[in-house]
Amino acid sequence: MKKLYFEYYMQIVYSEAAQSCRYTMKCIPAGTDRQRLETLKIQIHPEADYCEGEDSFGNRLLFGGVDIPHDSFDICMKGRITVGLAASEPITKDTDAMLFRHHHGLTKPGERIACYFESLRGGLQGTALEQGKFLMHRLHQDFVYEQNITDISTTAEKAFRLGGGVCQDYAHILITLCRMAKISARYVTGMLLGEGKSHAWVEILSDDRWYALDPANDLEVTDSHIKIGVGRDAADCAINRGLVMGGGRQTQTVRVSVTEEEI
Amino acid sequence: MYDLDLLEHTDTVNELLARYGVKFGIYKNNTFREQLFPFDAIPRVIERAEFDFLERGLKQRVVALNLFLKDIYSQKKIVKDKVIPEDFIFASSGYMAECEGVSPRKDIYSHISGIDLVQGKDKSWYILEDNLRVPSGASYPMIARELCRRSSPQTFRDTRLEDNRNYAELLRRTMDNVNVGGHTVILTPGRYNAAYFEHSYLAEKTGAHLVNGSELRVEDDKLYYVNFDGRLERVGAVYRRISDEYLDPMNFNPESVIGIPHIYDVYRKGNVALLNAPGNGIADDKGIYYFVPKMIRYYLGEEPILHNAPTYLPFYEEDMKYVLEHFDTLVLKDVAEAGGYGVVFGSSMSAKQKEDFLALLKKEPRRFIAQEVIDFLDIDIFEGSETVPRKADLRAFVLMADEPLVWKSGLTRFSRNPDSFIVNSSQGGGFKDTWVLSH
Repeated sequence: MKKLYFEYYMQIVYSEAAQSCRYTMKCIPAGTDRQRLETLKIQIHPEADYCEGEDSFGNRLLFGGVDIPHDSFDICMKGRITVGLAASEPITKDTDAMLFRHHHGLTKPGERIACYFESLRGGLQGTALEQGKFLMHRLHQDFVYEQNITDISTTAEKAFRLGGGVCQDYAHILITLCRMAKISARYVTGMLLGEGKSHAWVEILSDDRWYALDPANDLEVTDSHIKIGVGRDAADCAINRGLVMGGGRQTQTVRVSVTEEEI
Repeated sequence: MYDLDLLEHTDTVNELLARYGVKFGIYKNNTFREQLFPFDAIPRVIERAEFDFLERGLKQRVVALNLFLKDIYSQKKIVKDKVIPEDFIFASSGYMAECEGVSPRKDIYSHISGIDLVQGKDKSWYILEDNLRVPSGASYPMIARELCRRSSPQTFRDTRLEDNRNYAELLRRTMDNVNVGGHTVILTPGRYNAAYFEHSYLAEKTGAHLVNGSELRVEDDKLYYVNFDGRLERVGAVYRRISDEYLDPMNFNPESVIGIPHIYDVYRKGNVALLNAPGNGIADDKGIYYFVPKMIRYYLGEEPILHNAPTYLPFYEEDMKYVLEHFDTLVLKDVAEAGGYGVVFGSSMSAKQKEDFLALLKKEPRRFIAQEVIDFLDIDIFEGSETVPRKADLRAFVLMADEPLVWKSGLTRFSRNPDSFIVNSSQGGGFKDTWVLSH
């Protein structure tokens, strides 16, 4: 168990003034058996009223718009959270087992992943969690961490063909492999202890409980991860989504900082 | 029948239809063309007793389809009870996870359903498909009746039939039933849409505002109509004539310029009603069609009154065997296609086409359904001064207000090509008025 202090900062700078924009942010850390949100403060600039909501996966969201000309848009979220309260989370809706067992969107397998899965099939033994860990270890050996060769819309199959990618790609491929093994698996967005960008990992369902595996780091999640959202793939739980009128070229910066509080 | 005074006025009615702009637009080779929808004055006549039977069957079917949609987007009992295989839900492009856990007002999903039927030579009716997303076509027999009455009042004094001009009242009742407070609007993608005539006609007849996406906006959790002077007026119900995908660029296709950002977020909270509910594509999927009779038994505990055309699912081994053995007598449909596309007749394929098709079928059995070719009861149309028999179907409209309502008319579409079974207007067919006799 750890008490963590987190800061998430996202800024979009426009090359010319944007006339208006609309945004949806799925950025608020989830409250689960594993983690408890203690404090939260959100600031959006330019200042405007926003609404809160929840999507079909249970992710909290903020949505709103800015209707005055502006040169940049930024959101800053700070808070304290306790993580590592439990090793797993119970399934909240029994239909989730079905929903996350089927191939979807960016995780649909192609020939290369299917072929790779066949080569691993013989090693699958034990519970869903054990099988998931086996697939994660193998993937970690056979896939390389490499930035800037994939982007947010890269499919699992394409990333696998490239042989490398970032946390999103690791997560997508592991989800594809799990679903091929008939294991329900879902994509998780979140933040990791340290400085950097947002992070992504995987939850797999084993005996009606969700266990979290971080394939980019080849480890089972304990108390260094702050979970934000879940979905069938990255597109379901993108942390930010926006629509801009005008604005020219956009430059986005994301900074995440998670530190352990001194107790 | 052929001594009706009305039949003398076919040309007049068609001229009036053209003058009133009764057209539909089609894109072909990247150009937009508006095309008249040819009207044939010989009405399709349905006896009262026969229509009563159809009415009972249609209500039963639409009630079951609504229960199915509610179940699929919540508990999925029909899947857990293994009546429908999981694959048919989750592999369908019509299933939208975004609709999970969202309850439309009064649990009505399909407010306006267009159910396509055909009559066989043995006089029995078969359901060909259900259209629960944005079915169009009611306006054509509505205005045709109006213009026929004007051209030949005599005909309507002599024949006692159900007035079909009440569709607007039924639709208004359906929209008001779910309105959460505020205006009722009909949302159109604009004049380049195939059914723009219908959008404007229905708005005029129901008294709803006809709006496009840029006239609506979401503010503080509610939907508003932006008045001519910039004032915002609350909207309580949207009869949207744009597909789910383009409805909200913040929740669905981000490229959409005809939708309203965040409309889905406020719908989810129950702050506006959408007709029809998003996500209905799962229920009118051609693969799910096979399961509708099973749904009727499952949800209602009743035997289906109206039957499907005999259908096989190559997904099931047994059915695949049947399909391979009887290939030449079947029609095959790609479940992902609509508008008469993706339909092939086993008998009309060359050896090479057949070989390619079978390879695809074996590779992706989930993608296709196979049906017996129904021997349609032909109906007569005018060709010049002659009458000739042609294939025709009937799109019946079922509205779900405080109770299910079946419109006592319908759109009869026919194929002008004597060899074609495909009656879709987008493929050059014409239409007739559908008369339901009132005695």
